[in-house]
Parts: sequence; C-alpha cells; structure tokens
Amino acid sequence: MKHTHPLINLTAVLLFMVLYIPLLCVVLFSFNASRLGMQWGGFTLHWYVDLFHDGMVLRAAMNTIILAVSSTLISTVVGTVLAVGLQTAPWGKKARRFFEPLINLPVVTPDIIFAVALVIAFGVIRSLTGLFELGMPTMIVGHVTFQIAFVTLAVRNRLEAIGNEYSEAAFDLYASFGYSFRTVILPLLLPGILAGAMLAFTLSLDDFIISFFTAGPKSMTLPIFIYASVHRGVTPEIHALSTLVMVFTILVVVLLRRSEKHNEQTEAKS
Amino acid sequence: MNKIFFNRFRAALVACIIAVAATAAAATEELHLYIWSEYIDPQILKNFEAKYHCKVISDLYESNEEMIGKLQAGGISQYDIVIPSDFVVPSMIKLGLLKPLDHGAIPNLKNLKPEYTKSAYDYGNKYTIPYQWGTVGLMYNKKLTPDFIPSWSVIFKHTDKHRPYVLIDSEREMIGTALKYLGKSMNTKDKTDLKAAADLLIAAKKDKNFLGFEGGVGGKAKVAGGSAAYALVYNGDAYRAMAEDKNLGFVNPKEGSVRWIDNMAVPAKAPNAALAYKFISYILDAQVGARLSNFNHFATPNAASMKFIDKSDLNNPAVYPTAATMKTLETVLDLGKDNRLYSELWKIIKTR
Amino acid sequence: MRFTGRVLLIPGWCSMTENEIVYHGELVKPRALYRRGLVFILPGLLWIAFFLALPCLSLGIVSFAQRNDYGGIDWTFTFDNMKRLVGFDLFGWSADNLVILGRSVMVAAISTFLCIVLSYPLAFFLASRPVRNKGMWMALLLVPFWTNLVIRTYAWLIVLAPQFPPARFAAYFEMVDPGTALYPSMIAVYIGMMASFLPFVALPLYTAVEKLDWSLVEASFDLRAGFWRTFRYAIWPQTKSAVALGITLTLVPAMGMFVVPDMLGGAKYMLIGNLIQEQFGTSRDWPFGASLSLALMVITLATLLFFNSKARANKERRS
Repeated sequence: MKHTHPLINLTAVLLFMVLYIPLLCVVLFSFNASRLGMQWGGFTLHWYVDLFHDGMVLRAAMNTIILAVSSTLISTVVGTVLAVGLQTAPWGKKARRFFEPLINLPVVTPDIIFAVALVIAFGVIRSLTGLFELGMPTMIVGHVTFQIAFVTLAVRNRLEAIGNEYSEAAFDLYASFGYSFRTVILPLLLPGILAGAMLAFTLSLDDFIISFFTAGPKSMTLPIFIYASVHRGVTPEIHALSTLVMVFTILVVVLLRRSEKHNEQTEAKS
Repeated sequence: MNKIFFNRFRAALVACIIAVAATAAAATEELHLYIWSEYIDPQILKNFEAKYHCKVISDLYESNEEMIGKLQAGGISQYDIVIPSDFVVPSMIKLGLLKPLDHGAIPNLKNLKPEYTKSAYDYGNKYTIPYQWGTVGLMYNKKLTPDFIPSWSVIFKHTDKHRPYVLIDSEREMIGTALKYLGKSMNTKDKTDLKAAADLLIAAKKDKNFLGFEGGVGGKAKVAGGSAAYALVYNGDAYRAMAEDKNLGFVNPKEGSVRWIDNMAVPAKAPNAALAYKFISYILDAQVGARLSNFNHFATPNAASMKFIDKSDLNNPAVYPTAATMKTLETVLDLGKDNRLYSELWKIIKTR
Repeated sequence: MRFTGRVLLIPGWCSMTENEIVYHGELVKPRALYRRGLVFILPGLLWIAFFLALPCLSLGIVSFAQRNDYGGIDWTFTFDNMKRLVGFDLFGWSADNLVILGRSVMVAAISTFLCIVLSYPLAFFLASRPVRNKGMWMALLLVPFWTNLVIRTYAWLIVLAPQFPPARFAAYFEMVDPGTALYPSMIAVYIGMMASFLPFVALPLYTAVEKLDWSLVEASFDLRAGFWRTFRYAIWPQTKSAVALGITLTLVPAMGMFVVPDMLGGAKYMLIGNLIQEQFGTSRDWPFGASLSLALMVITLATLLFFNSKARANKERRS
C-alpha cells in the first residue's frame, strides 16, 4: 500500500517514541555526574570506568554469559533432536495430541508458575537427597527447559520448509538413514538450527523471572543484579551497565538481521 | 554466511572457555561474605585480602528474612560469614543454620564489651559475635518537612500535613515500631494489640502518601533523592547520608524505637570456616573496629575500639543514644512458637 | 498399533513387501521407524517430563501442605491454604486475595486490549514504509523487544519522576499532588505493561497486514462504506488470527507478570505475581505460594482453553 492516513503515521511515531524515550533517558543519565536525584550534574564517563572495577558486576556478567552459552548449547542439541524425531516418524493423532501440548507448554505458561514449580521441586528433592542446591546448574536446567520449546519450534519450521524431496532423493539413491541425515538433511537444517540457537541465546540473556527464582547465592546474573540495585536506589553506575547491555542487545539484533538477509540472498540465488 | 558465523561462534566459545579456565586456575583462598548493603568499608575488605592473601566475595541483602531464605535455599554451604540481627538468631540456631564458633580461633574476642558476651539471644557467644548495634529511626528531608515533630505520628496520623513516606521491609522492626507508637511492647503476644498494630499499618499502607516497603538503604535513597519526606531507616545509614547532604535529618522518635544488635555468624556448612574465624577476629581488632564504625556510623560493641571512634559520633545522640533515649528503646525478642503470630500478621499486612 | 504384516491402513504409505513400508522414500520396517523416532524424541520428552510436568504436579501437592514455624515445609495436608486463598486468615475474612487475583486478570485484559488497539496503527505504519526502510523500522521495533524487561521497566522510573514533564503535566491538571512521581500507581503499571507487550502483538499483526488483500478494502471504500464498517468487514476478518496469536502471547504472560507491578506499582498495587514472589522471598511460605500458583495456573488454562475453543469454532464455521 502506498500511503496511510497521517493520523496513523503520527500515532505510530508517538508509539515508537514511547518505547524509546525511557531507554534514551537511561543512556543519558549514565553520563550524569551527580549520584542521586534527577539533577544534571555534568557530563562524565567515570561510571563506566567504575563498572569495570566492580567485582560484583563483572562476576554477574560472566555468570550471565556462561548461563546463556551452556543452556543454549544443551537446548539446541536436545531441541533439534526432538524436532527431527517428531518429523521423521509417522506419529498418530493420539500421540501428537499428547506431545504437542507438552512441548508447547513453556511457550504459553506464565514464567512465574514454571519458576515456582521448579523451585519447589528442587527444594523437595534437596530435602530428601541433598542434590539440586540452587546455583548455576539449577539455573541452566530452568533455562534449557523453556528454551527447548522454542528451538523445537524453529527447527520444525525449517524441516517443514525443506520438505521431503531431498531425503526421498537420497533414499532413492540407496543412502541409509544415517548417511542421508548427516550429509543431506543436517546441512539444509543448519539455518533453522542456528535460528533456534540464536532465539534460545537471546531468551536466556533476557530472562529474569526464572533466573531470579532458581539462582543460588553465587550465581547472580546481570538482570538480577540490576533488579536488586533498583531497590537499593538507582545510581548512574546502573544506568551505565544498562546502557552497555542495551548496546550488546542491539549488536545481537543487527547480527541476526544481517544473517537473515544473507540467508535470503543465498536462497534466492540457489 | 554459515561458515563465517560458525567461525565467529567457535572463536567466541573458545574465548569463553579460556576465560573460565583462567579464573578457575587462579583460585586463591576465598571468603564468601553475605552482608547487609553498605555495611562495611570496602577498604577494610581490601586490607583483609592483603593481610591474609585471599579474595573476599561479597553478596548483599536488605532484610533478615531475605538472608534466612537464601540460607535455607542452599546458602549454608556457600557462604562463610552472614550478619543476622539479634532477634532471628535463636530461630537460625534451631533451624541448624549456624555453626558453633571456635573461640580459640578468635583471639580478639576479649575486646568485646562485657555486656555483649551475656546476651539473651546467644549467651556466651556460642554462635554469634556482635558486629554493630543501632536503632531504627525516622529519617526526614528537611526541605520537604518544615514543620517536623520527632514523633511517629508524622507517618501514622493522617492529617493535611501528611507527606510521602516509605516503610521498612522488616517484619519485626516495622510491626515493633507500630506497637511502640500505640504504647505497647514490641514483643507482645496479645492478639488485640497485634490486631491494632496491623490495622494501623494497613491504614498507613492504603494512604495515598505511602510509597512502598523498602530496606533501610532503599528508604534512605528515596528521602535523599527527594521523592519521600519520611522513611524508617537504620540510624547509621541515615547519618551517612546526612554527612553528604545537610538537608537530611534523623531522629529516634519520642514514642520509642527498635534497638537491634547485628552479629557475625558462620553458616553450618561454610566452605572456609578457618578464614571466617580470621575475619571475625580481624573485625574485632581495636583499630579495624573503629574504622568500621567510623565508616558506617553505627555504634560499636568493641570496648577496645572506643578510644578510636570519631568524637562527632560519640557525641551524637542518634548514634550513641543518651540514657533517656535508651529507656525508650526496646530490643526485639525471639518468641519461639509465637513467632508465627508475627509472620501471619506480616503476611496480612503485606497483602491487604 | 499392531502390524500384521499385510497392507497397512495408513494413507500415503504403500506396502512393498511383508512388514515393510516406504516412508518418505525410505524402505523400512515400521517398528524400526518408530524405534528410531523414539530414540530421537526421548531425551527431549524425558527432560520436559522431568523438569516441567513433574514440577507442576509437585506444585499441586505442596499447595496442600503447611508452613512450619521457621519457614520450612510441614507435610500435614489440610485445606488451610485454599481457605486462605478465598480470604479466611488469622483475623477473619477479607477479600484481598481475591481482589488481587481479579485485579491481575483485569490489568492483563486491559493491557492486552490497549496493545491490540495501538498495534494496528503501528502495523499499518510499518507495512506502508518503502521497502528499503522496512528493515530499519523492523529493527527499531525489535530492539526494545529484545532489551531486558528489568531495564525497560526501571527506565520508566526516570521518565515518571517528579521533575520531568509527564509528572509535571499531571500535577498541572491536578491529577496528582505537585512534586510526586507518577509511580507507584495503576497508571504507571498500565504504561509499563503496555510498553512491555506492544511488540508481541505488533509483530504478528504486521505479518498479517503485509499479506492483507487491499482489493477488499478498496472495494469497500468504492461502495461508500465508512471507516469503521470497512475495518469491521474488510480488515478485521483478515487480521483476526494474528490478533488471536497476539492475545495468546500477551494475555497469559501478563497475568503472571511481577516485575512491572513490583517496580511501578510498589506494595500498593499488588498483582498475583508479586504475591507469589512474596511467599518465596520474605514470607517463606512455600505451600501458600504453591496454592497461589495453582490458582493462577487454573485461570491460565481456562483462558487458553477458551481461546482454543473459539479458534476451533471459527475454523469449523469457515469450512
């Protein structure tokens, strides 16, 4: 469509402003020299410098990345295998009606129910066996569980888009399942797997509620740290930290879109 | 794209693994400190690290309940030192969260004032060593409160001059303050008294000037920032803020307030108890103890440190209350089975 | 399912030899096929069963237990927590828990409605951008979407502070006392919720608007229909499914949200998410927290089933 009513354009632009003004305020105040209150005390970069000397922040950042990377690795593998299994065997209607809701449950349940259920389950197991003390392992478990659903979704989409012709052709040429899977399906599936992995990675970085409930004493992540600091009184150091996190997010989004565009171009060529 | 992406991804992964390995390899002795926010001078920690060739990793909390919750969720084997308030110590001992202390490993124990070795909550310092003590008082912003009176009625009485306030997110201390305002004991088990206190606090919560429950530090930040006129704040936190800003004031209101004693304790399964004892002894050192109190402006239980305390603190009735004020202060006691009354009450107050 | 070695009555397959079929070109025994499929899906299914289904079950069980004196779990099973849910506690009856539940559902519903209404202009705007700019605008929409919820929410604490235009504006029109911030308040919670969930509705809607059949809209205008009639008969039916998807992605998570009400609503405007979090933090009453989560889960499932049945009814009506 060519043109829209100016009122619609105005509303849309206002909405974009509403979405961005708070974030821009955070960026602006990260350079504020005065510590408390909203007065502008002059431009300074020393909050950013302070960040790099703050042991707690660095540890939280490290924890966040370790958590995101490990949970993404595990969930990508499990999710991909799950998706392939779902597509390459002729499950009947009854079986599907059992699998589908179970696998899609994390996507539609409010995070808090899921986090609470995990904490209780871990607590009960802990009182019986002493395992599952809250810490990095429990956080990874929590993240993987909800990431699997999203990875499976992405990979299944890709599998459906690929279709069956390639594997059929491979089988016609007397390939075994293993060979066909390794050399034909998997390379074609790679964009889907990577999309799922990126989705899982960003979800893990972004997650707050599940981390908050399953975190142990030593495994604080950045979102938890920022949340606790907001209650203690926001300082420009927190603004600086948030700005850096936002910049990182923007980089990831740009990377994602670049890779998508590249994907589309290579597919258009072939 | 895939190849380039894969290579970059692999490089990032390798970098992460190397970083993790490096941190693991550089493992020196570590002391895991779980402490109230803004409660210790960072320089003291640095000096301790230098003296004993170790690393101190701090984690912060805002309320006793938060700390106990974390310990129960697995913290007893992850922290070396926690700082509970006096009234939660008996419960923590009963729950098996604390380790009996090895007095032989704490040579500076002799520096404590005698009255702090015979406390009701831990006679003989079997599990805890007093750290600092203080009160929960009323902090106010002078610019927003030209007609200030040193009474809890500025929060609890609803008049035209009512101004925004923050309540403290601490079960016993908040309910205790309300009871004090009503002229009752903070340790009462009388249900009618408790209901009256609950009604008072719920009314205070429903008032349009109520800004929320915060820890002492959070409340202080709001008053200093100007969004609140009053807050319940620990005396030392308030005094520190006042040192930076003359517009802030603090008072122990005339109806009375909570007097608390914070203690150093070692969780039952602490990973490095030996280092924990060294830390406790270090804090009890005369000079270090004085440095601590001069930093956070709380009162010290350390007899040997008294001669190094800032004169301004010693003469400040907000930090070292006068005898008359001491009569209005009351310590919160652990009530055993009846703790449940207060927990229920707090839950009701928070949800209504 | 039993294989008799003869023709299998599954459409799309054809039987080659005894007990072997061709599935997507592969000549294989059905049993081997299922076994292989099982091997693939077992890790995932086991993980989900063990770390998702079982915990949810334990939620139900623990919600009938009690809190012991010092904050642990006391395994005596009573209906006390259910009674407390409905409002009976140590000091008589009060509707507060039910009020909080009701408030959560209402806030979620209103926020979702606001998001839908505001997403339409956004979607049309995006769809009308020239092709070379579309990517940029999409990225602009995605960046707040991907930014951490905690950061996005606490940023509003700055914007709604007393010294800035929004609060001053409200004070000028005597909606609030001068010098107070616009939080904690219900308005702040709604703003925060809306800002959090807008992209969730805008993105599916944008996909639908992109594929919109403009000939219908033009036809409607040619026949002199007004704006609302055009919307109702030409645009709405085509975007209905996208809106349904947006609602599923927004309504249910919004009911369990606790970060936004916690930061922008304070202790005054508690929603069920805050109440649950309290039980696991300072109150240390896990059984009561479990019963609250159970109540939320029931409401969530009811909502999902309701929308599911509506979607199925729609599909049946169409076919």
